[in-house]
Amino acid sequence: MKLLILDTSSKAASAALWEDGVLRGEAYQNTGHTHSATSLPMAEQLLAGCGWSLSEVDGFAVTAGPGSFTGLRIGLASVKGMAFALDKPCVPLSTLEGLAYNLSGWPGLICPVMDARVGQVYTALFRWDGGAMHRLMEDAAIPAEELLTALAAYGEPVTLVGDGALLSAERFAGRLPGLAVAPEHLRNQRAGAMAPLAARLFAEGQTVPAGDLVPRYLRLPQAERELKLKQQKGE
Amino acid sequence: MQRFTTASPAETEALGERLGRALRGGEVLAYRGGLGMGKTCFTRGLARGLGIDPAEVSSPTFALVNEYRGGRLPLFHFDMYRVESFDGLYSTGFFDYLDLGGVLAVEWSENIDGALPPEAICITFDRPDETHRSITIERGPAL
Repeated sequence: MKLLILDTSSKAASAALWEDGVLRGEAYQNTGHTHSATSLPMAEQLLAGCGWSLSEVDGFAVTAGPGSFTGLRIGLASVKGMAFALDKPCVPLSTLEGLAYNLSGWPGLICPVMDARVGQVYTALFRWDGGAMHRLMEDAAIPAEELLTALAAYGEPVTLVGDGALLSAERFAGRLPGLAVAPEHLRNQRAGAMAPLAARLFAEGQTVPAGDLVPRYLRLPQAERELKLKQQKGE
Repeated sequence: MQRFTTASPAETEALGERLGRALRGGEVLAYRGGLGMGKTCFTRGLARGLGIDPAEVSSPTFALVNEYRGGRLPLFHFDMYRVESFDGLYSTGFFDYLDLGGVLAVEWSENIDGALPPEAICITFDRPDETHRSITIERGPAL
């Protein structure tokens, strides 16, 4: 089974081709360029380089959230378009679970963390055990300090991965023993790393038709911080 | 803090142009002040200072954001009048625009005060009388 995996959920963009347990090809770019301009040419070059035609692809996987508002829409729209035209099934991936797969086989806790701005992070928690990734915490948008509390309660070494990893590590410095950050080449979403996750979901039949593919935005908590200037209230 | 008084729309536009020339990309300009204060004039000048045709500049009220490219730096002109929540702000793409290295000019920035970066350049417009405009720039480059 041939799969095309696309991620444009955050600052980097990547695409991968996966066939029956083999990563055939992968492309990754972290240049700050608009994903709408880079992601499809990237996928096209990858297909050409691997000698695949788009119609050979049996299914599409795409990160559906959380992530950048614009980025998620670009990835989903691209995959929707291809899958709809070819009438192929799709699998939406959790961006955070996909990130955790960068650290497959890693010891200790695996904590994907993305910068949701305004002091919030998109995060979840995983552990690699017995050759599989296990989820310990659901995807959530929470204040960074709340994540620190949750991690401290485990009392185990933890590796942060994702575009919020460095920022959070700086913030948690000296307050969380055993804290590490994934190395740069494993820090951002990689379509190739999440391909086994996509393959498993396809094997389990957790697919949707293109029309049912929707972004999974995580609601930002409302309180925490006032959005409007105080004097605006009641006007 | 720098305070300026302008005596005509042309002077307001010229001030905007001076600021535009001094920007390097990545700045957020948080406008404060109501209607008829000269924000559009100022933004036209800003566009000119960034190498963008000022005639292109129009109100972003209905689009939420207008993008002007083709200059020295892109200009993203937001209107936050209708933004009520962090989720609403997220769905304008505001957080994504912060990473594009352009200049963000934000009308009704009072509505998103809690989400402005701490280094945002705050520009307050006031109207001491019919012809004069008082423009205060906090944290901006020296003009």
